[in-house]
Amino acid sequence: MSTVIDKAPTVFAPVETGRRPAAAVLALARFEARELLVQIPVFFFLLVYVGTTAWKLFSPREDMNNYPILHDVDRATQPGTLLLAVAAFICVNVAALRSRRHGTDRHFDVLVLEPWRRTVAHALSVVPLAAVTALGAAIEFGWAALKPGAVGHGSVAELATGPLVVLLSGVLGVLIARLCPRLAGGPLVVVVGFATLMVVSSVVGQTHWLTWLHPVVSETSNNPIPSDLLGRPAAWHALYLVGLSAVLLCVAALVSGGRTRLLKAITVVALGAMVTGIAGQSPGDDAALITARTKASSTPAAFQSCVAHGRSTYCSFPEWTGWRDDWEKVVDRIQDLAGGGAGGAPLTIRQRIPVVHQLEGDAAIEPLHTPGEVTAGTRWGGNRVPEFAVGVASVLVAGDEQAVSKMCDARVVTVMWLAMAAQDDPMTAFRHVRLDDSLSGSAVALAPTNPVGMSAEQTRIVRALLGRPLYGVTARVKAHWTELTSPRTSEARVAELLGVPAAKNGTGAGESCQK
Amino acid sequence: MPEVGAAYARVRALLPPLWRALPWRVLGAAGGSATALPALARLVSGGHDTAFALILLRSAEVALALGLAFLLDDPARHITVAVPTRRVLRNGLRLALVVPLVLLCWTVALLLVPGEIRPPAGDVGLEAAALAALALTGAAAAVRFTDEPQPGAVVAATLLAVTVLETLLPERCTLFVDVADPGWAAAHQRWAVLLLLTVPMGAALLPERIRRRRALAWTHR
Amino acid sequence: MTTAPTVSASGLTLRYGGTAALDDVSLRLREGITGLIGPNGAGKTTLLRVLATAVPADRGAFAVLGHDPGTTAGRQEARRRLGYLPQNPGFHLDFTAFSFVDYVAILKELTDRAARHREVRRVLEAVDLSDVRGKRIKRLSGGMRQRVALAAALLGDPGLLLLDEPTVGLDPEQRMRFRELIAQAGESRTVLLSTHQTEDVAMLCHRVIVMVRGRIHFEGTPAELTARAAGRVWSSAERDPGARAGWRTGLGTFRNVGDPPRGAALLEPTLEDGYLLVLDGEPAEVASL
Repeated sequence: MSTVIDKAPTVFAPVETGRRPAAAVLALARFEARELLVQIPVFFFLLVYVGTTAWKLFSPREDMNNYPILHDVDRATQPGTLLLAVAAFICVNVAALRSRRHGTDRHFDVLVLEPWRRTVAHALSVVPLAAVTALGAAIEFGWAALKPGAVGHGSVAELATGPLVVLLSGVLGVLIARLCPRLAGGPLVVVVGFATLMVVSSVVGQTHWLTWLHPVVSETSNNPIPSDLLGRPAAWHALYLVGLSAVLLCVAALVSGGRTRLLKAITVVALGAMVTGIAGQSPGDDAALITARTKASSTPAAFQSCVAHGRSTYCSFPEWTGWRDDWEKVVDRIQDLAGGGAGGAPLTIRQRIPVVHQLEGDAAIEPLHTPGEVTAGTRWGGNRVPEFAVGVASVLVAGDEQAVSKMCDARVVTVMWLAMAAQDDPMTAFRHVRLDDSLSGSAVALAPTNPVGMSAEQTRIVRALLGRPLYGVTARVKAHWTELTSPRTSEARVAELLGVPAAKNGTGAGESCQK
Repeated sequence: MPEVGAAYARVRALLPPLWRALPWRVLGAAGGSATALPALARLVSGGHDTAFALILLRSAEVALALGLAFLLDDPARHITVAVPTRRVLRNGLRLALVVPLVLLCWTVALLLVPGEIRPPAGDVGLEAAALAALALTGAAAAVRFTDEPQPGAVVAATLLAVTVLETLLPERCTLFVDVADPGWAAAHQRWAVLLLLTVPMGAALLPERIRRRRALAWTHR
Repeated sequence: MTTAPTVSASGLTLRYGGTAALDDVSLRLREGITGLIGPNGAGKTTLLRVLATAVPADRGAFAVLGHDPGTTAGRQEARRRLGYLPQNPGFHLDFTAFSFVDYVAILKELTDRAARHREVRRVLEAVDLSDVRGKRIKRLSGGMRQRVALAAALLGDPGLLLLDEPTVGLDPEQRMRFRELIAQAGESRTVLLSTHQTEDVAMLCHRVIVMVRGRIHFEGTPAELTARAAGRVWSSAERDPGARAGWRTGLGTFRNVGDPPRGAALLEPTLEDGYLLVLDGEPAEVASL
């Protein structure tokens, strides 16, 4: 060629970037995370999660929410996150199969970033979603912790479980995508996995170590116990979840062809972490814990501190000291309404827990036989307040809790009026404290220990009394206190003493004593 | 009538290749797991209850429905879009080929559950039918409203997400109730309503559109 | 030409969201091969899909061999008379080439088994796939698969053949082979060939349509398109800043298209030069060439 080129062609030197695969993996993970968060299922499930959490927080019906027990609240955050876990599984699975679906894998597989690193990036893309879950759990817990009535101690490991489960299911989604690249794989695996899990757990029953292999172990009970008696291996479980996620991620990377020394080392470490976690969470409740639970149930005094306020003494487990003032208010109001010696009788309010064999389920608390000692539960707010009031009033009238069980005469009227009249809204409290939420007929009224049986006539009298001005009834109660608290007084006499007209069709005396 | 004869000949010629073109792997996996899951109830010994069998049968229902979500996938869609054989005929024949197999699968699954713990067959069958109809309607909608040759994966994922969401519904409008639940009959009325709603909707979605976005086309007139 | 047009369309409009994939397109196609060229996103594929009855248009009407695809019956009749090779044909990969084409033949209502198999063998022969007709499609190369799709389009000797970028991704030899096939196919029917290859158009087509942004910007013979660039192509030693487009050739000199300066050394225009000038006013597209 004879043409003289008078200007050298411009050649752009390739930009020297160096090889930093980790940075590339992170960049890809960030990209995939952004894609993930705008997926409709993820977005929708996120919306539902936020909605249900907000509903739990702001729901007006549960007054008990004002008195949260933080070491129960922490694990109550877990089941809700399963929603996001399912969404994460499906969407990460679909995303990891995207390039296969669109036939770009043949192209991408020869790019600088190896397939296994892309696998890792897909798994890491769940991290922001897990972070959102963590934020949700933190808000739910923080909201409860900021309530003035909050007691107990939350556990970080319990709070971390929800986000870790989201992470785990995302990693599982990637692994399934790599193991069975057919698009049908993901959803079908979820269904088959769910059913298999149900079968396995029904076959092995409630074995402790197998139960704890589940991602979420939510043992819920209506009777919270002190946090040091819970004995939930939450930290080990979190380690197990982290280890399991890492192991699954490493398997996914190995399946996609990763063979670097670092990856193998991480696999070994992750396996170690998982095994340690399993080993740590597997042993059931040890003997010392069971003994401690039994003792805390039978002789709670040894674990408690007491404080004397006015006429009475208030004893609670260390974590519940904040509620003593609330108890005192109720006790004082009842004693102000009572007459005779009961108005000034010194009471001991004793917080108690039932015998705990396992965390799940409800057990009843046996009534005390010490005179003047009243049981308080480990929950407060809502219906627990009038229930406690029934307990206080019945001890004031009958002497001790054991005697209350045998109380099936007109004293019930006095007890129920005392307990309900001390409430802010007596009629509503009366309705709710009765097991069938009724205002007429015979029913059982709840108390911290044994319930109190009410006949239809007693119900009628109490209802009539609650409808009248407080001062009038109080004066009559104080004036006839001895007769009103005597087991020999008839219902008709009680009605007469308190100024309630007799029933038209006579009285069903002793109706509540049939049992 | 020559048209009837021609149509019959066409259908007869169409059946073998359609049979071969069905997404067998997915259908096989779904059918296999749908029969294998209830078989577990027989395999594992011990006094299991109806609730246990119900969980397995419901898993089988969902598995079958997930498989059916792939039924209308056609990798060669872009080629077959311009043929004179209508889509409603092609997809209807696919359905006709698969429905007996699905019924067989379901019967086997039902029979594999020991009789003494088997939930009411009719009611559970209704659930299965409604879920299957929902999956097929989803697939028909995906085929009609997108150009995607294989929308099954997305339909299946959506179906699963909907199923999971449904289990979270409040008790008075949920579909998956326990056998012992007093709301069993009411829930199955809801299942029946779901089935009655989805079947005509799915049928309406099967044919190709002759007009595109009628409302929009109108505004341009 | 005096024959009735195979396809006559008027006012075809199709919008996806806010963008018009087709904007008031009217055209007539007659026997022979018509090339359809235009930049990416010009609406070529959409036009072919509308003509293939794969997607209805929002507005406008068209007829294929006298049948109106706007009605169900008319669409059936139109589909009986057209062959369509889509841009990304998908395949049932487990089928053999023969069984796949046979499957499409059944869908094209060729029900008589012996006649249908004869027809399938004929089209496979026409695309030179007789040797591999027993092979599964997943074992065939990209070029062979493309020919399977062409064979499927040729089934039943359709009066209208719509080919959407059939030579994309083929090697030069395969492309030559494909050109022969298309040329043969266009001897006795109407072919609309969408392509990015201006040499395909130059070699094969008796008419050419240039589409830009959903509209037809040129319709005429390849010679007429080439003539658009007459006197507007010149060579220079340096890149000419006044040129619409210019590139250095293998000779070391620059070939410029646009409005030449006085006394420039004019060159013989090609069809591509004419195409570039039709795109004039679409700066982004020209710059990307």
